Amino acid sequence: MRFQPLRITAFTVCSAAGDGREATLQSLRTRRGGLTPNDFSATPLPTWIGRVPGLESDALPAHLSDWDCRNNRLAWRGLCSDGFLDAVAAASARYGAKRIAVVIGTSTSSIGASEDAYTRLDPDGRYPADLRRSIIHTPHSPGDFVQQALQLDNTSVTVATACSSSAKVFAQAERLIRCGLADAAVVGGVDTLCGSVLFGFNSLELVSPGRCQPFDVARRGINLGEAAGFALLEREAARGSWLLGYGESNDAYHMSSPHPEGRGARLAVQEALRRAEISAADVDYINLHGTASHKNDEVEARVVADTFPESTFASSTKGWTGHTLGAAGIVEAAISLLALEYGVLPGTLNLDTPDPACGPQIRQQNEQRSARRALSFSFGFGGSNCVLAFGRSDL
Amino acid sequence: MNRLPDVAVDGIAFWSSRLPGWDIARAVIRGEQPPPTTSNPRPAPALLAPTERRRAPDTVAIALEVASRACESAGVAPAELPSVFASTHGDLAISDHMCATLATSPTLISPIKFHNSVHNAAAGYWSIGTGSVAPYTAISAFEHTFGAGLLEAAVQAACAQQPVLYVAFDIEAKGALATVAQSRGLFAVALVLSPADGRSARRMAMQMRSVDAVSLTPSRSPAAALVADNALAPCLPLFEALAQTNDATVDLSLGHKVILSVALSLRESLIQRLP
Amino acid sequence: MADPLLASETELAELIVNALNLEGIAPADIDPQAPLFKTGLGLDSIDALELALEISKRYGFQLRSDDENNVRIFSSLRSLAAHIAEHRVT
Repeated sequence: MRFQPLRITAFTVCSAAGDGREATLQSLRTRRGGLTPNDFSATPLPTWIGRVPGLESDALPAHLSDWDCRNNRLAWRGLCSDGFLDAVAAASARYGAKRIAVVIGTSTSSIGASEDAYTRLDPDGRYPADLRRSIIHTPHSPGDFVQQALQLDNTSVTVATACSSSAKVFAQAERLIRCGLADAAVVGGVDTLCGSVLFGFNSLELVSPGRCQPFDVARRGINLGEAAGFALLEREAARGSWLLGYGESNDAYHMSSPHPEGRGARLAVQEALRRAEISAADVDYINLHGTASHKNDEVEARVVADTFPESTFASSTKGWTGHTLGAAGIVEAAISLLALEYGVLPGTLNLDTPDPACGPQIRQQNEQRSARRALSFSFGFGGSNCVLAFGRSDL
Repeated sequence: MNRLPDVAVDGIAFWSSRLPGWDIARAVIRGEQPPPTTSNPRPAPALLAPTERRRAPDTVAIALEVASRACESAGVAPAELPSVFASTHGDLAISDHMCATLATSPTLISPIKFHNSVHNAAAGYWSIGTGSVAPYTAISAFEHTFGAGLLEAAVQAACAQQPVLYVAFDIEAKGALATVAQSRGLFAVALVLSPADGRSARRMAMQMRSVDAVSLTPSRSPAAALVADNALAPCLPLFEALAQTNDATVDLSLGHKVILSVALSLRESLIQRLP
Repeated sequence: MADPLLASETELAELIVNALNLEGIAPADIDPQAPLFKTGLGLDSIDALELALEISKRYGFQLRSDDENNVRIFSSLRSLAAHIAEHRVT
């Protein structure tokens, strides 16, 4: 059972850079990032965030009210964008709801709802009545919600490997389809701002007080963001960009620092190129992980400089969206797919002076140019790495 | 369709505070030994270097224990195996710490606890402790977690045509979170699965079945009461079947209307080392 | 033979052992002049952050990670205890 490329017949993304593909593309083209000063929580930390506006007043349809929480509202907003619901309904009619798997990535699921509950415990120390819904206080909240919302009847799994989560979902879904357990899959991810990530990353001194500056010599850390994105993969379809391959690995080094030589990153890149049957020189665009953390960017810059020719166009788009953690994989996959479809290669926002570790591949400015193959890098906490390879639909 | 290539069960491991090992668990399941009444403290993760070992929370301690034992019983080098780590609720103790601290003094979040709070913490520590660069994943599927992880491990074995490590664990809910997440005690299991061939002594044939009404194999052995209140309890029927020598089919939960049927068979004539 | 610990150093040693869950070492056995990081106790940067948190909770002041004197302050139990004695609020 060999790997076969799969068509991506629909995809969508909602982040601080915009709701849906068109808004995201516009933000990329006009270089208008979505980062704003942090106003999240009662005592906001001094930082910038990629916040999606209006989630507080979004409502889920009544039949999905058991899943109501910020994280699932953002997931719903994503599902409702770009005709994705219709695309899934059509696939469901074609293959049957029992033949479409769901694989969703996240890092903190809806822990924000648990955080909220702890501030409003009843006199017995129990959750308040409105939050006494087990499904939103467990890691599988987003995977279960998406399956319910799309009325699918195959398996649903939530992948939570920190920042690589919603990239790994592509690999997991491809294997299910390859084994004949599904004919199509809804993959994606969702993560929302919450106290755990804002104060957690702050406790590790990884958060920048200003706008994040990926690959800049003066970078001071990450900006957190929230986002949702989804893609429909099909075994046999006539249209759509291609999932050409993927590579997965671990650093096996440290829970919160990358391997200094980028050992795992290099392995994941090589495996993705091998599975896609392409060479480094064939890659037109790379969406880097580029979190603006001191260590990630240093290591990643060297991996890129060592592996790819000068002509490769590489950038981090986290200046547009912030670091969306468990959703970063799908967000950046979507941006890579937009790059292939429209030839809009985004540069790196807020990059003024590239770190000396950067090679010529890492770009500051946008370019409009034809791109046929793209890679997207996601390197996570705990050393989990995933590189995705995409191909333009006419390949 | 819906049927996976057979996998061989090369290694088995089991740890709960009253059944701290597969040998004792198997004996209790088979009625050869009465259920112990003493509780054991969590195992010490000997695999980890001192820095990681002192930071390892309970989830990591029990996950690494069963991961190590499964690889030992399979006679495979841990560093070579891709792995699947599954947990229904993840680290409930750390989730409680995070929420309680955020509710009162958010800037006092412990950096060590935060960096342990990721769902892939156990997988991360395992890869660091073994030096394994083979990919891991960390998943959850609520009450279908054990079945979903088992399927994922078998799928990976089939696709990569090599052995895969499967680890599942759940711990005790603490604090207010316990009112919505039911789980008591510490419980972890692990399997090493590989593509079956003519020499495989113990095989599992897995099939995914869509059903209108879900009917699962119940736990029946004396071990059941010892882990019944842990979120990973749904795994026990498979281990009860693995403890026996007769062929059996175990139906595990895989989705709202989906079952994973696992047909186990044992060729005693092929047993050189029975896990 | 290591110096005996002052009372303030014993208290800090206990805080370190507890906060970082150090195994197999009694607070009284920590050499007050030995390095805390890399060698000696072998602590790393995450431990430094955890210690800074515990020290702020116990002694009411914040150790800053960009303090240019940090190499000296954190060079040993003795120097850290002295720094705390000078800056503690509680």
